[in-house]
Amino acid sequence: MARKPFLRPLFCRILLAVGLLAGVRAVAAPETPRATIVRAILTADDTQKREIIGSLAGEGDEAIRDLFTAWRQDNLFVYTAPDGVKIPVQLLDGKDANGAQTAIRVDNGEALQDAVGQPLRLVAKKMTAVEHDARLRRAMKTVVDLLDLGSPVLTKRLRAIQTIGFGQKAENLPVLQARSRVETDAKAKDELQEAIALIQLVDPDDAVKIKALAELRDLHNSSSYDVINRLKAKAVSEARPAVAGAATAALAAIDRHRAMVKFYGTIFRGVSAGSILLVVALGLAITFGLMGVINMAHGEMITVGAYATYITQNVFGDGMNFTLPFIKFAVHLPGLHLTGWAYQLYFVAAIPIGFLSAALVGVGLERSVIRFLYRRPLESLLATFGVSLILQQMFKLTFGSNNVNVDSPSYLSSNWTVFDITFDWNRVFVIGFAAMIVLGVWLVLTKTPLGLLIRCVMQNRTMAACMGVRTERVNMLTFGLGSGLAGLAGVFVTQLGTVGPSMGQEYIVDSFMTVVVGGVGSIFGTVVSALGIGLADQSLQQILLNPVLGKILVLLTIILFLQWRPTGLFSARSRSLD
Amino acid sequence: MSSPTAERSFIRSRHVEFAAIAVGLVLLTVIFPVLNAHGLLSDYRINLWGKYLCYALLAISVDLLWGYTGLLSLGQALFFSLGGYMLGMYLMLQIGMLGSYAKAGQNPTGLPDFMVFLGHTFLPPFWRPFHSFGFAALMVFVVPGLLALIFGFLAFRSRIKGVYFSILTQALTYGAALMFFRNDFTMGGNNGFTDFKFILGHSLVEPDTGPATMRGLFVASAVLLFVVVLFCHWLNGTKFGLVRQAIRDGENRVLFSGYATAHFKLFVFVIAACIAAVGGALFVPQAGIINPDQMTPIKSIEAVVWVAVGGRGTLVGPIIGAIGINALRSWATQAYPDSWLIILGALFLIVVLFLPGGIVSLPGKITTWWRGRPKAAAPADSAAAPSPERS
Repeated sequence: MARKPFLRPLFCRILLAVGLLAGVRAVAAPETPRATIVRAILTADDTQKREIIGSLAGEGDEAIRDLFTAWRQDNLFVYTAPDGVKIPVQLLDGKDANGAQTAIRVDNGEALQDAVGQPLRLVAKKMTAVEHDARLRRAMKTVVDLLDLGSPVLTKRLRAIQTIGFGQKAENLPVLQARSRVETDAKAKDELQEAIALIQLVDPDDAVKIKALAELRDLHNSSSYDVINRLKAKAVSEARPAVAGAATAALAAIDRHRAMVKFYGTIFRGVSAGSILLVVALGLAITFGLMGVINMAHGEMITVGAYATYITQNVFGDGMNFTLPFIKFAVHLPGLHLTGWAYQLYFVAAIPIGFLSAALVGVGLERSVIRFLYRRPLESLLATFGVSLILQQMFKLTFGSNNVNVDSPSYLSSNWTVFDITFDWNRVFVIGFAAMIVLGVWLVLTKTPLGLLIRCVMQNRTMAACMGVRTERVNMLTFGLGSGLAGLAGVFVTQLGTVGPSMGQEYIVDSFMTVVVGGVGSIFGTVVSALGIGLADQSLQQILLNPVLGKILVLLTIILFLQWRPTGLFSARSRSLD
Repeated sequence: MSSPTAERSFIRSRHVEFAAIAVGLVLLTVIFPVLNAHGLLSDYRINLWGKYLCYALLAISVDLLWGYTGLLSLGQALFFSLGGYMLGMYLMLQIGMLGSYAKAGQNPTGLPDFMVFLGHTFLPPFWRPFHSFGFAALMVFVVPGLLALIFGFLAFRSRIKGVYFSILTQALTYGAALMFFRNDFTMGGNNGFTDFKFILGHSLVEPDTGPATMRGLFVASAVLLFVVVLFCHWLNGTKFGLVRQAIRDGENRVLFSGYATAHFKLFVFVIAACIAAVGGALFVPQAGIINPDQMTPIKSIEAVVWVAVGGRGTLVGPIIGAIGINALRSWATQAYPDSWLIILGALFLIVVLFLPGGIVSLPGKITTWWRGRPKAAAPADSAAAPSPERS
């Protein structure tokens, strides 16, 4: 360590001498950015100083930014050691009583030491700051602007590439080209290619421009759209048809790509919206479609599932307290105080809990009200509407009238981007789960003894009773199944919408429409109509740019559709007359 | 579904029904206004009862469809609000230069305030004829009637009935409410129409002349209600009325007997829409506001509750139900604000499960029980009554 203060400046001076003589960087071994800056500071000639600074362009060392900032703020000084060696130092903030500051060597970033190895503190007033003029500052800024280009962090690098590309400064071109030769990341390579092409657009040579436009056409990245558009307008006004033609081709390619992304994005959103509708309507397809009960409280079964998720989340977290209304029974749920992955698993636990709690409420509703109304469907509508009002008010009194917050588990909150189309995880999950639920319902209805009983009781309740089927019990279980499915839907809806006491109302009209369009009594029809309505809704939203108008149009379409097929898409044919 | 005949024997005795109607008519059109004019009945109460009477009109329109024809329409609140909106447009234009923007000098043409707020500079063309009361009053019938005609034609032509009809009308109402919630529909959006000042040159808000206007509106509502009741009563006695009830009890038999049931249903649907619309038109100046909240499917279902509680298939039932439940609401929302919805829901459940005939069937039930001769022909619940819907 003791030799360093002596040796380094000597080395620098030799370097300096060689540099001055040859006028080129005459270093065999790669020089650190810090050493380069020291060389720049100690160079007397302004032009050479700028050149040395300029040679740092494309370097990714963060120290450059700090040192240049210090330089501009007059915090760099040249310390002359007792032996006459000049050492550039940076003085840090924090003056002591004598006005002395800690000094950091520019060449290695370590504290300045005296001969015996003690840290040396210097007084700024007794020294002169390293000078800088406007042109030098500009050269430094260019280097700092390009700094992130060499950053080891990918996102920083990408942003820098984009900024430089859109800056369209011809002088940055060599740096980008140098970078693209050493860049290894595929995405960064693409971005570099685009940035280079964008800069080449300002090249005076038309041939270069056209080549760059062809490259942009192949990249068809929508971010370069505006730049190309401006170039095209300019080319048209300057009557350069070749450039204008190439620009048009590039724009058309970008437009096509955009349309493609929008098209598939809409399909994806439509399918996911349809899947939510499907999960919501599937329960109704059983209670309304198979059993013929108009359950206006179906929406509240969704709410039960959503609040069950909310409670599960709190139990996995810090626990919760609430008071049941009227009986004033205080419920205290202790929390498991889980964190990290264990806490994230709450959503997995909520799925069966949501199903079971809604199924229980459903069974209770069936036993207490609906079983008296099997022969009076219109009155089941009214009675369950009363139940819906009561339940909504109960939720309000128990959990408050504000929406509650249900966290999104980390494994559902990220997304995939494939070909610029964003696939949100939660939507992908909903689609997958809807498929599983449909499969599950189909298996239950067609492959289990319970399913057989359900189907025969729903076809002809009296005849089934005569054959010895306990229809009461089958009714109860069927209604529980339908309600449980609504509860499952509630668990999902927590990830996509708000959770509040009246949330069920948002889905009730839509889900009834879905079942009616699909054909009452047909699970398959419900699947088709849910996906169809979801797709129609999303595409109309995209076309009209107006969600409400889209929804109104969908409703109108459904009304007209029922003119054509009054019994829905797939209706059970029957000779019986009501 | 039919109210069992035995239960209705009490109500059916025309004398009692007519007596009730006559007493009500005198009470509402003469005694209440006179009491109010002499300060014995508060303006607030007259205003409140005026609104109840409008609700009673809405309830009768539901009863015409559901109680007499077997069509459970969940779109009556839509027709009610449409009527209200039509008259509301006239009332909005009557505000003219008295609106808050005009007073601030920012509205030289006297546009309704919400239009100025949304940056309109001229009146949309379809608003212009609504300067005339006559045109607005005509539109109160034409717009809901036409909508009912088109929708009913489509629905009945393809033989949509039972719960499907209910769900479709609900969807229609839902769609219309979404439409009216939009600002660019130029119907006031979320806030609807409010802050009315004049109707036919009479002030609605002035402290000295306002109460008289309200009294006039109250009497108008009462008279209209009785006209509608008498009309329905007359209709029940005609052959048309009988066919209508036959449709309720067994549509296919009527159809096979050679009646075009769709035409009958369409006619009733349009009439009911017009009755609801008139109720809405009278409701708006008395309530002082109309907004899309009034046309949500929930409001339609509430109107169905009134009818169910009062007693469907009767003429006084809906009136009793509408007035009774709304009076209960006025009281309960103040006394037990948290429990009102639960009370309403419970009332609903009780009536559906235990009292399918509604309140008006109570006297019949009591007399049956009092005389101690439970007739085999008078089933206590209508489960045994012929069900026109799917079983």
